Amino acid sequence: MKQRRLLSKIAGLTLASALALTACGGDGATTPGDGGDTGDSKHTIVIVPKDSTNPWFVRMETGVKKYAADTGLDVYQKGPAETDATMQVQVIRDLIAQKVDAIGVIPVDPGALEPVLKEAMDAGIVVVTHEGASQQNTQYNIEAFNNSAYGGFIMDNLAEAMGEEGTYTTMVGHVTNASHNEWADGGVAQQKEKYPNMKLLEAEPRVESQDDGEVAYQKAKELFKKYPDLKGIMGTSSFDAPGVARAIEELGLKDKVFTAGTGLPEANKEILDKGLVHALTLWDPADAGYALAEMARKVLDGEEIKDGIDLKVKGWDNMKFAEGSDKVLEGEGWIVINGENVDSFGF
Amino acid sequence: MKRILRSTEFYVFLVVVAISIIIQARSGQFFTANNLVDIANAMVVPGLFAIGAYMVLVSGGIDVSFPALASLAVYAATRFLVDIGYEGSILLPFAIVIVLGALLGAFNGLFTTFLVIPTLIITLGTANVFSGIMQGALNSVQISTLPPSMNAFGRANLFVATNPTSGLTSSMPVSFLILVAVAVIIFFVMKFTMFGRGIYAIGGDEASAIRAGFKVKAIKFWLYVVVGVIAALAGLIRTTSMGQMHPTNLLGMEIMVIAAVVLGGVAITGGTGSLTGVMLGTLLIVIVQNSMILVGVPTYWQRFALGTLIIVGTGVSAVQLMRRRTRQRLVSA
Repeated sequence: MKQRRLLSKIAGLTLASALALTACGGDGATTPGDGGDTGDSKHTIVIVPKDSTNPWFVRMETGVKKYAADTGLDVYQKGPAETDATMQVQVIRDLIAQKVDAIGVIPVDPGALEPVLKEAMDAGIVVVTHEGASQQNTQYNIEAFNNSAYGGFIMDNLAEAMGEEGTYTTMVGHVTNASHNEWADGGVAQQKEKYPNMKLLEAEPRVESQDDGEVAYQKAKELFKKYPDLKGIMGTSSFDAPGVARAIEELGLKDKVFTAGTGLPEANKEILDKGLVHALTLWDPADAGYALAEMARKVLDGEEIKDGIDLKVKGWDNMKFAEGSDKVLEGEGWIVINGENVDSFGF
Repeated sequence: MKRILRSTEFYVFLVVVAISIIIQARSGQFFTANNLVDIANAMVVPGLFAIGAYMVLVSGGIDVSFPALASLAVYAATRFLVDIGYEGSILLPFAIVIVLGALLGAFNGLFTTFLVIPTLIITLGTANVFSGIMQGALNSVQISTLPPSMNAFGRANLFVATNPTSGLTSSMPVSFLILVAVAVIIFFVMKFTMFGRGIYAIGGDEASAIRAGFKVKAIKFWLYVVVGVIAALAGLIRTTSMGQMHPTNLLGMEIMVIAAVVLGGVAITGGTGSLTGVMLGTLLIVIVQNSMILVGVPTYWQRFALGTLIIVGTGVSAVQLMRRRTRQRLVSA
């Protein structure tokens, strides 16, 4: 009797794990690339985004697909099912096992990715990254722009909305997210230099939205309750501005407090039209995906990587090494979206 | 009186009161009309999830699939309605989501009823299946524009609370009524119906429940169906209130919800716990989560503070449970 029960337990376990496995196979496998099966000269390049459902990375995939079509190489995108460093590590580990030629990673948390990227490089895989300026285990990291300069650019937009005066604070996805924090730092530096009548909220200089629109909304409500003087929130994650806008609308603070940040045009059309958000800035993730794949190809083909290299996309055609770095390359690929031009992008 | 002093609910209630007073003292903002409405608003989705998690825990199981279940049900419904250009009332979205929630819950129910494996393992599996279907088969992406009635429902409010000093306004969402309704119904079901008593009996000792004449399999199956429906409702409420469908927004909430339920005095081993405790436990976590900035806890320490609360809170209930066990053993010996 006991034995039979144990048997059925084991059978059940296999079933459950089989279920889990199938699910993993389905997870985020947005393109069914068959890694090992390619010809000798045909590179397999895989772009690993933070999250395969976030529209940002869905847009990136269009650039990746375009690159594959333009070059005829086996290039595809495969990311974790949600923004989670552990799941991203798993995706990369699978790609190492498949022996792909190169991976282009947009790290959730650069620190958490160091060991697995080292593993990949040790296995002879070319590793390039995007939005991970602090990443050690990467051959090259490309950025649409200098992160501080972009932060300064977001600040210019926020300052314009705030009339260049008042208290503000910064919001990042996670305090461990490299780019978000560099933008926020750049924004603060820009304010100190150019906008003497603005002031950073000392008590709460940086809040976390956890890359979640609901959390951004709750945090913004708390901030405006606690600090009646607060006049602006500088957002960084693409979830920040929509969440903050919802709080501004509910609290009845429209035209009294302001937010600016990064976001996709279509997802934010309503809040831009209503004037809840003054302006959003971004770079086109499709261009980033394209450029990242081109970067990986250049490294694979042994081309010389130097100041002024051309990644074949506008704004990414004159990449320069960041100051004091031989790994981080920066372009000038930013754009502004506001109520007037929001309909002109088509994504 | 002695019974009250011995109950976990009473202590959780004391902690809620104490924390509220601390927050009030530190910020002067806690007991303002708009802040209380904000807390009630933030309570709706975790509260509904907690009711479901409580029912499963009492039955001696543990369900970690409800956020994935809710995401899948709501994503599928929203995708379908957006694709057909639906412009009708909010009733159809609710109906679709309830049916899908029930079906997915039944999927969980079938496995837990017929397989003798811990429900944790089963629901870990089904959670992956659900999010896999959503992200793989349905190729989920963020949906920025909802059908008009869903958007309107998310913005509909019962009343608007204004803070007289700051002039800030907060709206009490209509969905709060759903939380109240579900809580009241489940309270009566768990207390006064054979189904509810059966859930407690199964959690206490499944073999005894069978001997006592409870239809254990049927009860377990319908339990997961009910929980599926409650979870799917929570998912729809979150989506409508955000005004956008973010497919992964709910994922990862299960840990906090289960912690809240255990904090409220539900034994993780099943058989004991009350809905009152669950609501208090959830309220406690929601208050703490939404008052860190009010109190002035720096961002870097917020997770630490929340984690400590969970460890201490669940630790206290665990100690109480152990004491009760020792007492019982003394009686039987």
